[in-house]
Amino acid sequence: MTLIILLLGLGVGVLVGLLGIGGGVVLVPAMVYLLGMDQHMAQGTSLLILLPPIGILALREYWKQGQVDLRAGVLCALGMLLGAYGGSLVALPLASRNLKGMFGCFLVLCAILLWRKAQPESKPMAAHGESARG
Amino acid sequence: MERAPVAKGIGRDAGIFVVACVCGVASGMFGIGGGVLLVPLLALLYCFSQHRAQGTSLVALIPPTGVLALLAYAREGFVSWKTGLLLIPGILLGGIAGARLAKKLQPQRMRQVFSGILLALGAWQALSAWWQ
Repeated sequence: MTLIILLLGLGVGVLVGLLGIGGGVVLVPAMVYLLGMDQHMAQGTSLLILLPPIGILALREYWKQGQVDLRAGVLCALGMLLGAYGGSLVALPLASRNLKGMFGCFLVLCAILLWRKAQPESKPMAAHGESARG
Repeated sequence: MERAPVAKGIGRDAGIFVVACVCGVASGMFGIGGGVLLVPLLALLYCFSQHRAQGTSLVALIPPTGVLALLAYAREGFVSWKTGLLLIPGILLGGIAGARLAKKLQPQRMRQVFSGILLALGAWQALSAWWQ
């Protein structure tokens, strides 16, 4: 079991560096299905994992290439700190089953957003106008 | 409709802050980092290049943005401390490998594969929650 957990961490870490995400979006379903956790428990544990700066080594690689907007990053951190607290207050009273289903819907939404961005950016303005409505 | 990519100064800052708040709500609600939402939104609304969006998202994930949310979950006993601590070292190390790999791979393809996985995962999770 411990080995599975360690390997899971490694796999998620690769995604963190590859996609610049926190990894929670993969961690939560992995903990629910691989480790048999309850939805609330998986989410709480995921938040614990995200507490230390797990992306810092990945960030260093991006920094070396000058692919970092520090100002925007700091603003985002601030906004997310506040937003996350609000979000947790919404989630905690929900039934685990409903939360699980909503999480699924959220993943689908993220998938669509990511896919849209994956379109070639030959017509950036058109793509932008369209995306602003979506 | 304002053209977000040319927006500068305080308007741009305020906009980014609002976008981040939205990502934060998702983060607390679903126990995730929020990067998965932040990266596409920065790219779509502010025309960040893919690599720049990812690097900036990683900055936002350095401070413990989820700490208030974590405390709220912990108060209800919804945290498995042991599993969480075991997962951290792997993610840290895997992160270097992933970042190196990202420089070599075609970002387009990479994201398409990932969004495909997310779609399947999300559909499965929603169905298994409500379809029984």
